Amino acid sequence: MKVTVLQENLAHGLSIVSRAVSPRSTLPVLANVLMATDEGRLRLSATNLELGITCWIGAKIEEDGSTTVPARTFTDLVSTLSDREVGMSLNVRTQTLNVRCGASNTDLKCIDAQEFPPMPAVDTSDGLQIKVSELKEMIQQVVFAASTDDARPILTGVLMTVKGGKVTLAAADGFRLSVRKADLASTSGHSISAVIPARALSELARIASDGEQLVTMVMPRGRGQVVFRTKDVELVSQLIDGTFPDYEQIIPTKFKTRAVLSTSAFLKACRQAEIFAREGSHIARINILATGELQPGSVEISGQSEETGSNQNIVEATIEGPNILIAFNVRFLREVLDVIRTPNVALETSTDTAPGMLRPVGAQVADGEFLHVIMPMHLGS
Amino acid sequence: MPIRILSPEIASQIAAGEVVERPASVVKELLENSLDAEATFVSIKIEGAGQRLIEVTDNGSGISETELPIAVERHATSKLSTSQDLFHITTLGFRGEALASIGSVARLTITSRPLDADVGTRLKVDAGHSSPIEPVGAPVGTQVRVEDLFYNVPARLKFLKHETTERRLIDNLVTRYALAYPQVRFHLFQENKPALQTSGNGDRREILAALFGVEQARQMLDVLAQDDWMHVTGFISPTSLTRSHRRDITFFVNGRPVQDAALAAALLKGYHTLLMVGRYPIAVLFLQMPPELVDVNVHPAKAEVRFREPERIFTGLQGAIRRALLAYTPVPGLQAQLRWAPENPPAPTSRQIDPAWNLDQVSARKGWQVEMQPELDRQPTDELPGGAAHALAGQPSFPDTRVPILRLVGQVANAYLVAEGPDGLYLIDQHAAHERVLFERFMSQLPEVLPSQSLLQPATVDLPPANARLLTDQLPFLARLGFQVETFGPHTFLVRAVPNLLAGSDPAAALRVLVEDFEEDETPLQAEREARLVARVCKRAAVKAGHALSPDEQRALLSDLEACQSPRTCPHGRPTMIHLSVDLLERQFGRRGAR
Repeated sequence: MKVTVLQENLAHGLSIVSRAVSPRSTLPVLANVLMATDEGRLRLSATNLELGITCWIGAKIEEDGSTTVPARTFTDLVSTLSDREVGMSLNVRTQTLNVRCGASNTDLKCIDAQEFPPMPAVDTSDGLQIKVSELKEMIQQVVFAASTDDARPILTGVLMTVKGGKVTLAAADGFRLSVRKADLASTSGHSISAVIPARALSELARIASDGEQLVTMVMPRGRGQVVFRTKDVELVSQLIDGTFPDYEQIIPTKFKTRAVLSTSAFLKACRQAEIFAREGSHIARINILATGELQPGSVEISGQSEETGSNQNIVEATIEGPNILIAFNVRFLREVLDVIRTPNVALETSTDTAPGMLRPVGAQVADGEFLHVIMPMHLGS
Repeated sequence: MPIRILSPEIASQIAAGEVVERPASVVKELLENSLDAEATFVSIKIEGAGQRLIEVTDNGSGISETELPIAVERHATSKLSTSQDLFHITTLGFRGEALASIGSVARLTITSRPLDADVGTRLKVDAGHSSPIEPVGAPVGTQVRVEDLFYNVPARLKFLKHETTERRLIDNLVTRYALAYPQVRFHLFQENKPALQTSGNGDRREILAALFGVEQARQMLDVLAQDDWMHVTGFISPTSLTRSHRRDITFFVNGRPVQDAALAAALLKGYHTLLMVGRYPIAVLFLQMPPELVDVNVHPAKAEVRFREPERIFTGLQGAIRRALLAYTPVPGLQAQLRWAPENPPAPTSRQIDPAWNLDQVSARKGWQVEMQPELDRQPTDELPGGAAHALAGQPSFPDTRVPILRLVGQVANAYLVAEGPDGLYLIDQHAAHERVLFERFMSQLPEVLPSQSLLQPATVDLPPANARLLTDQLPFLARLGFQVETFGPHTFLVRAVPNLLAGSDPAAALRVLVEDFEEDETPLQAEREARLVARVCKRAAVKAGHALSPDEQRALLSDLEACQSPRTCPHGRPTMIHLSVDLLERQFGRRGAR
């Protein structure tokens, strides 16, 4: 193999694939990045057997070939090279990669590409297409609600359902549920329901940078995998086996009290309450008060702990329905308010033991596009 | 005092003491009679945990009018006639003592009708005095009612355990017989509520579910082995399912439940090296062998037997267990582990490389201070005035056990913190330390109801009957802890909310771990039980070994530990820290002469 690439491109490619490298694996080759020439470009791949990321970068290829380079060493090296062309040539017999850049000359011990787990090629011609910017927003609005506890693997995933030109992402960790719907860029006849690891989606949101591009999604039959492909990046993830809880029945259909308030003011109040609540039980008390016919109502958000003290914030709000005092985990509130983009947000609930529902409010938001359910906390006394 | 022959009443009460020691033993004797009478349906009714009423009804062969008065005499039996028969016992009973013994300590009513008789007969015995028999209408079979057990032996009454315990013993006993006789239909009613109902269709796994819960019953492995004179069937747990005690190991020899240390040893031998130290399997095993090879006439309650050729039986059993285990034990799957795992586990001998570092020797030299509360410190709480309050705090606290201000040095092996104090080096077990911190925090908040987090969907938990009963008893306390649990069927529960502290973990597993292996007999005090439950919650919620902590988290844990009342042990009594004094370090480095 003999190739020349731009340092900038190589560094960028390595930063994309390095997230799938597993440095502590029992399989030493998984700590390496596969480099292979591929139809006039250089292909970089890394996998931890659950998640695989491939990235193609432009290269001048003099001789085809492939090898695997130690990810850590190579990334550190490339990041310190000067911003010019990097020439690489492989001695196949000794599996030594010579890297030259300006005055720098390096010989790097590699592992034969034969040992790298095969990354099967996927036909993406009949895949579903969605705009990168939209998919990124969808992912950010649900992944945080997925569980991080390995005891219930199914909840560490995000349920993706595709039906009639619409795609829905849903994640739940047992205490909250986030559901986001969107239209597909291309309509597809078949419907899909699969649970994708939340981590894989987070990585996808991170590496898919160009918002105007389209991302293509394929689930090859019988492989238990999902493939996301943009122009020069491909992400392959194992799907999670199992049945995702039927979330539709969890979503409350009725409410008694509805408060509409400023998202940013609510978020700020939650951030302040969290400073005090995090020492104790993470409880934020939400006191929804409809003051009178002609005055605006208010929502009081408070957090307290025995050690640090207490904090209250009053946010003006439009209230429908009776007054209510309800408690939520303040972190849950903060995390969902962080991803709501509209200036106003609605909080709907019925009693202090019924679930609370948050949804964005605004003309540009389609009904039911995003909704988030949080189960309340019960106060001691 | 002159020596006298005891009156017949006293003599029979003494004899009864050997056979009938608690309600469960009455149930056992009556049940065995029913089974010996070849009944296909046995219904048992218990009231007042067996003290008020034990009623066993069967559809067996019945007792004829002429035999009935003899049946309640001592040493009266139909099961044996010559002394030779004693060595070929094929029935469960043979001593002829059961009915007489029960009759002498309770009010006994026997109603029976054999198949060939037109009417049944009834006989009443009250504290050993039988009244004349009377004819009554009765279905074929025998009904024995035992009322007011031990009413004339107050000493015995006093030694009965709590009602729930007695009920649980009866549950366990009947369930085990139901397992041994799957073709017999059993109905057990405790306080007018069905506790066990089997179909009698011969399916043992169904009954196993009643004993251990559906989940665990499903995991149990089948054992089936036969050689020319012994036949072993039954169920054993896979190596992943274990208990901290041996009580769930049950053996039946020729249909008779026996306790035999040697059989249990053979079972454990079969599991050798597959189980952790201190863990025991669950097993229900049925051994069939020719009657002349076992001697059952060893123990009044027949709980023990002697084997004619013990070695052959033990090797046979051990082999059968091992084969079943190896056939079913899967190769552990390769899984991505976040945990720090050394490539070569440290060899246990490594400590002996340098004798100066041999921990055992050094600690004998007084230099090392392994800061462990001696066992003596745990005072028997119920003897103290205000014992309950003491028990609530877990272990008694001593003012001088507080740790000094510590400076964090770092984390070792993702499991231990290293810290420096004014008097030397401290090694702290992060899991045990966190457990202690959580425990004290919980206990200080407990007078109030703790906050809890509701679940999106309630989780259903299916528990074995014994655990279910315990859980039902503790529901009010669990509600204070933050568990909102509702009963949802006899042994099924709905978890609606969990303590905030456990919000990260599987709610069903959290609840199950709370009551699993719980010993209600060990501590009669409710306060002590509550402390135990809290300790379990803390154990579950505490950060595990193998979890990397950020420096801030490490520092927070240290300062929390400094604030604890008794920081040196975890709520289960294991040490949280080891202290290496400056003095010891200096000696070890040869800066100061060895003493």
